[in-house]
Amino acid sequence: MLWACLLFPSLPLDVFARALTPAEAAHPFVVTSGGHYPCVVAANAAARVAGIRNGQLVSAALALAPDVALRERDLAAEEAALAEAATLALAFTPNASIAGPDAVVAEVAGSVHLFGGLPRLHAELLGAVRAHGYAVRTALAPAPMAALLLARGGQSPPVLDVDALEAALAPLPLARCGIDVDTLAMLAASGITTFGDAHRLPRAGLARRAGQQIISTLDRALGRAPDPREPYRPPPRFERRLPLPSPVDTVESLHFAVHRLVQDFAGWLLARGLGAVRMSLALVHERYLRARGIAPTVVTFALGAPARAPAHLSAVLRERLGRVALPAPVEAIVLTSDETAPLRGRNLGLLPEDAAETVAVPLVERLRARLGDDAVAVLAVQPEHRPELATCESVPGMSSKKSTRIRPGVAGTGAPRPLWLAPEAQPLATDLEAAPWILREGPERIESGWWDGRDVRRDYFVAENPRGETVWIYRDHRYGADDGEWFLHGYFA
Amino acid sequence: MDASVARLLAHPAIWRGSECASEPASVASGFAELDAALPGGGWPRGALTELVLEREGIGELRLTLPALSRLQAEGRSIVWVAPPYRPYAPALAAAGIDLSRLFVVRGRTIAEALWAYEQALRAPECGAAFGWMPSHEDRLLRRLQVAAREGRTWGVLWRRPGQRASAISAPLRLSLAPDRGTLAVRVLKRRGADLAQSILIDLARAPGAPLYPLPGGQPLVRRNTSTSPPHGRRHGIRLPHRKAS
Repeated sequence: MLWACLLFPSLPLDVFARALTPAEAAHPFVVTSGGHYPCVVAANAAARVAGIRNGQLVSAALALAPDVALRERDLAAEEAALAEAATLALAFTPNASIAGPDAVVAEVAGSVHLFGGLPRLHAELLGAVRAHGYAVRTALAPAPMAALLLARGGQSPPVLDVDALEAALAPLPLARCGIDVDTLAMLAASGITTFGDAHRLPRAGLARRAGQQIISTLDRALGRAPDPREPYRPPPRFERRLPLPSPVDTVESLHFAVHRLVQDFAGWLLARGLGAVRMSLALVHERYLRARGIAPTVVTFALGAPARAPAHLSAVLRERLGRVALPAPVEAIVLTSDETAPLRGRNLGLLPEDAAETVAVPLVERLRARLGDDAVAVLAVQPEHRPELATCESVPGMSSKKSTRIRPGVAGTGAPRPLWLAPEAQPLATDLEAAPWILREGPERIESGWWDGRDVRRDYFVAENPRGETVWIYRDHRYGADDGEWFLHGYFA
Repeated sequence: MDASVARLLAHPAIWRGSECASEPASVASGFAELDAALPGGGWPRGALTELVLEREGIGELRLTLPALSRLQAEGRSIVWVAPPYRPYAPALAAAGIDLSRLFVVRGRTIAEALWAYEQALRAPECGAAFGWMPSHEDRLLRRLQVAAREGRTWGVLWRRPGQRASAISAPLRLSLAPDRGTLAVRVLKRRGADLAQSILIDLARAPGAPLYPLPGGQPLVRRNTSTSPPHGRRHGIRLPHRKAS
């Protein structure tokens, strides 16, 4: 077992700071606690230079730096950020879990080979998290608790062996090990300040004086006690809101923000092993407009087949957004997954020409994104005797439930059927009188549909008209007459 | 290289990494007499083919179906842009077309249809793109030709009866007409020497043909009324009427 710990040392700050441009980030900025006497919870580099420290009252901070920007701590956003980080980690390992208020641990031993070695896996994991705008510190150790403690203690070389754990953990100050304050004070009074000091004490005596908590922390950190972690499971439905720094009134300016959401979405899809089939993007307009009853502009997207490559999803969204006219400026966007499907595994070909298959979907999606969802259709056979109902056109990707194979016992397997069907049967009244028609085959009686009001009673013939065209005609016997009207219904093209 | 090594390497069971199987430049039409007349021995890939119809319902689609199912078997899909009628799924499926790989595209305007057709020609996953386009603009059609070359797609531009055929850059133009129960294919233009004579192709047994044997194996009764059409009271003919059992 090898656990990687991703520790977010400035999470309260980062959830706000990741939306800021570099110029804005250079200004003093602090996150405060709520309440009557709000304190500074986290301060950025510029604020620390001004002398602002954690735990100060906000009034003191304002005295030190009058232009400091204040934001109240957003615990919900921090939780969401941890969930996002865990989702990212799930792209590298099936076992990741959220640990405490500011860390994620992931078991990576099984994936090392897959990613081509530990250094590369580690670098890719770090890169993925940093790309989302979070400061992160990592540690690698054979036990999750050890990885967590090492990360809290600061940057450290990876520990790959259980036997090396004791030496690596020994210098860590106990104050960083998540032990409660009273126990810490009691131990400190006896001169016990590091992990090593506590570990060297007799266990029974330590447990009697300091309680079971410190014992279990020590044993778990050394990998000597089981440390079950609840694996993180991404939510079954993806919905993420991204507030824009300033209102946007052109679609082009939305592309960057949309791409960021798409990356999150792709991470979620990857973690769940799914591909997107339908998704919707809500463009939320400014608040004063919402009050006047202007609803968010919702753009829905459907893909021909499940997909999750961010570039692909972005391209489809971009093509589709190009046709959207914004009625008002947008201040936030919300991406929601409406329908997903398991993404099937695909065998890679030995020879290069097999690659054509991999891009089979985008054409249909390009067409649909530009021309509309109903512009592209696939055909399907319906178990129906009436010819006009036996063929149906459906949206690609939705046809999986319908059978495209001919079922036995349905007309069309043995009797002649034309390749072209006229959209509407055309009356042949005058055409028939012009010159002799040749009947090649028939009649085939089709009588059906009395139950839905579209009943037919027809005798079909394969005929050759005077121009030499082979057509499918029928005589309508619906009204019982023996000499009903003649209609042209198809071409044997 | 040593002669014995060269002889060894010539063995058909040896495949060398440096030689990639190249895609043939044409797809066999499935009709030997037609393949013999087409340059490259089949329908050209990566080029436009213009099929000029003098009539409709003469087997023009049947002529293309074997090549289409061959392209589908290669894993490529088929796109039909703006077909003039409803493609009839049961007949296509019975003729061996994989319906899930046949996309029917309809644009609201001619410009949209042309755009879709160009995209289909350009897409490498698309093996054949059929377009029923009323436009004759030479500049546009030249673009289509370039798109087909890029996508290595067999592009067919259909000219319906009454539509003027254009003198465009399509390297292969055929005209199709009925001839006593067979399809007469006249080569209007091809790369190579002119072919004066029409090629007669019997499509009666081709996939998609109207005369199928009955499921029981018994052929349908073929009735040819051309010799003495019975004349009806109102419509000039009275067609024999048999109650279906």
